[in-house]
Amino acid sequence: MTATENPKTYKWVGTRPIRHDGYDKVVGKARFAADLNLPGQLHAAYLRSPHAHANIVSIDTSAAEAMPGVKAIVTGDDFPALDITDPNHDVSINVLARGTVLYHGHAIAAVAATTKAEAQAACAAIEVEYELLPVVLGIDEAMAEGAPLANEQNYQKFVGPTDPSNIATHTPLERGDADAAMAEADIVIEREFDCAHVHQGYIEPHACVVDTGADGKANVWASSQGHFMVRAISAAVLGWETSRIKVTPAEIGGGFGGKTTVYLEPVAARLSEKAGRPVKLVMSREEVLRSSGPAPGAKLRIKIGATKDGELTAIDGWMAYQVGAYGDFAGMVGAMSVASYKFPNLKLESWGVLSNTPKTAAYRAPSAPHAAFAIESVIDDIASELEMDPIDLRLKNAAVEGDLTAMGMPHPRIGLVECLEALKASDHYQSEPAEGAARGLAVGFWFNIGEQSSATVNLNEDGTATVITGSPDIGGSRASMALMAAEELGIDVYSITPVVADTEAVGFTDVTEGSRATFATGKAVVEACRELKVELCRRAAQIMGVDEDQVAWVDGAAVSPGHGGGEGGEPLTLAAITAQAKRTGGPLTATASLNAAGAGPSFAVHCADVKVDDETGQTEIVRYTAVQDAGTAIHPSYVEGQMQGGSVQGIGWALNEEYIFSSDGVLMNPGFLDYRIPVASDLPMIETIIVEVPNPSHPYGVRGVGETGIVPPMATIGNAIKAATGVRMTSLPMSPPKVLKALDEAD
Amino acid sequence: MTQHRPFAGGDAVVEANGATVGQLIDDLDRRFPGLGDALRAGSSAGIDGEIHAEPEFVRIQPDTVVYFVAPLTGG
Repeated sequence: MTATENPKTYKWVGTRPIRHDGYDKVVGKARFAADLNLPGQLHAAYLRSPHAHANIVSIDTSAAEAMPGVKAIVTGDDFPALDITDPNHDVSINVLARGTVLYHGHAIAAVAATTKAEAQAACAAIEVEYELLPVVLGIDEAMAEGAPLANEQNYQKFVGPTDPSNIATHTPLERGDADAAMAEADIVIEREFDCAHVHQGYIEPHACVVDTGADGKANVWASSQGHFMVRAISAAVLGWETSRIKVTPAEIGGGFGGKTTVYLEPVAARLSEKAGRPVKLVMSREEVLRSSGPAPGAKLRIKIGATKDGELTAIDGWMAYQVGAYGDFAGMVGAMSVASYKFPNLKLESWGVLSNTPKTAAYRAPSAPHAAFAIESVIDDIASELEMDPIDLRLKNAAVEGDLTAMGMPHPRIGLVECLEALKASDHYQSEPAEGAARGLAVGFWFNIGEQSSATVNLNEDGTATVITGSPDIGGSRASMALMAAEELGIDVYSITPVVADTEAVGFTDVTEGSRATFATGKAVVEACRELKVELCRRAAQIMGVDEDQVAWVDGAAVSPGHGGGEGGEPLTLAAITAQAKRTGGPLTATASLNAAGAGPSFAVHCADVKVDDETGQTEIVRYTAVQDAGTAIHPSYVEGQMQGGSVQGIGWALNEEYIFSSDGVLMNPGFLDYRIPVASDLPMIETIIVEVPNPSHPYGVRGVGETGIVPPMATIGNAIKAATGVRMTSLPMSPPKVLKALDEAD
Repeated sequence: MTQHRPFAGGDAVVEANGATVGQLIDDLDRRFPGLGDALRAGSSAGIDGEIHAEPEFVRIQPDTVVYFVAPLTGG
């Protein structure tokens, strides 16, 4: 369902063609990184740390080198030591440890052998002597006075010279006088929350194949959210020039932020260089969970004050994010993501805190879900105390254009009010919950980002076109690029072939993250098409024998009042012009590259009806609706898919998913049997309502939709559980044992 | 950002001159030593409702309000 405010109508934008890559994916022809095999290919495996924190006293690979099938072994000594100030320092010591292991599962060495089994056997034969160090596992423990260091090479960012620290970042944000406003408030509610680490849960493990030739150049086939990022980080870790590496993007089987960094490729490149043969390196599911970035865990204290008529007057919040064994920006964003309500007085601080756990990575709207879980829970309790409808309380305080975000910048045109009103008018909200069920709702926000993109559009001789970009398609962006090009050029979307090209075939493009691909890369596609339209008119003028300024591009054809017959002239189609390209100046092609500013902030409002089994503590999702402002939905099906995907991942985060560590830092549930993500039978159909408040900074109004959908679910479900049971859950996941315990304590 | 306020004596809003964001930062650094490095180490700039990553050469007008915010990424 679409609740549109978009006054513009388009021929192609907003339609739902079958995605260009759909057939290959449905029939299994699409090639993911692990599908590729090269002649003479070796298989690699890792030796990983059995300890969560230890110095490596020695590594003896001699026995392993002598084992059958072994062709190459690498350790951290095979890579240059990057300076601590190098932006790739942390990733370089994460791909292979240098002197110290910082978490259980940290890679220490890698072996390439004729078979995977031989590589694994050789890994087991590598002898490592360790000196154990104190293990830091919790936020409180890490922030305590005199705490042992989780990583002696971490220094707090943005504070100038300092001693090594367990603090990655500290972000204070203030406006007004929150203390005074709290003192004057009619109602103040304060609660503490905690959130476990969760994993992005992509189905496809990290995988790559690398062939480093005798000329020193490496061909890399990899699954990632950004192959230019893979090239850049690999080059830095290897100490190579960027031009030595070509990365061809494989299809990606899910990323959600977890494939915005590098684990395998530089290791495989060095192994291939040493062995003189291609090397394939594929993580197991266990390795994915133990050693590739989960989202941070967190602790939060949130206090909100309000007047008795429901005006939110102040927020005071402390947020600490457990970012793993390396400095990370995750802690900064929590406080910054407070942007949904006007809050005239605000005092927030968020921390990034280290521990001897895996290096965390982004996960859809990184750090915002934790903050929203806490804030939206407290706001719901205020609505309950004031006996106000939870939508009405939010509408009364909802941010609009010009209102300040927590970081001080005023919002541009946004669509939160429209999302709240769309939910209020929906069939779901207008219907009573099913018998035994109760309802909750919550709001989510994400900034969205722009960054660098490139696109080349080639018009073929017969009037078809190829749209080439550097953005890996992680959510249907090929179809979106083709739709925008079809709209611009006025040709059939199926006459356009969207291609995601390798690093040598298209201009630099930043990672597909921050909901940026359809926004920023789409902008590049539109710019290239508009340049082509100017050139098409110029060519048409030659063919028509009229002045260039007498030709306009209308509905996919050049028209000139002086050409042919009839009112307005006889149109000259794009195909008629491309057929004469050789006679009029040669091939028709255009490229656009840009650093896109003006990403449109996105809001979502979710609503869930749940039943809670008071004997088992299990929560059943009976009905779920996601409302989101897409700006403009280029391909509504894939907008809905993103909204549904974010909702489902959030439902998993809310109800079941968590990293469970032993006291010595070993992940106890490194598999999908014990780390339980939702499956279809756990869920109702996720209903969607797309709101369209166009982003004025994009030619079609795109905001980006990939991330916001995971922000509201945890609070939505927590609020529904509260409505069903009267118990406020403050700890994620709200798993059956926790709910049962809370119910027992409430009795 | 609030952590930059100590450079400017606690002020949240200060005026400075420059035809680009980079020149604006240079002017701020002359008046508040160290602020320039702090801003360049980790800031995007919000200008006229748009966030610019790497804003050094973005042109601004005499009455432009520039909001320095932490760099944003995503998942």
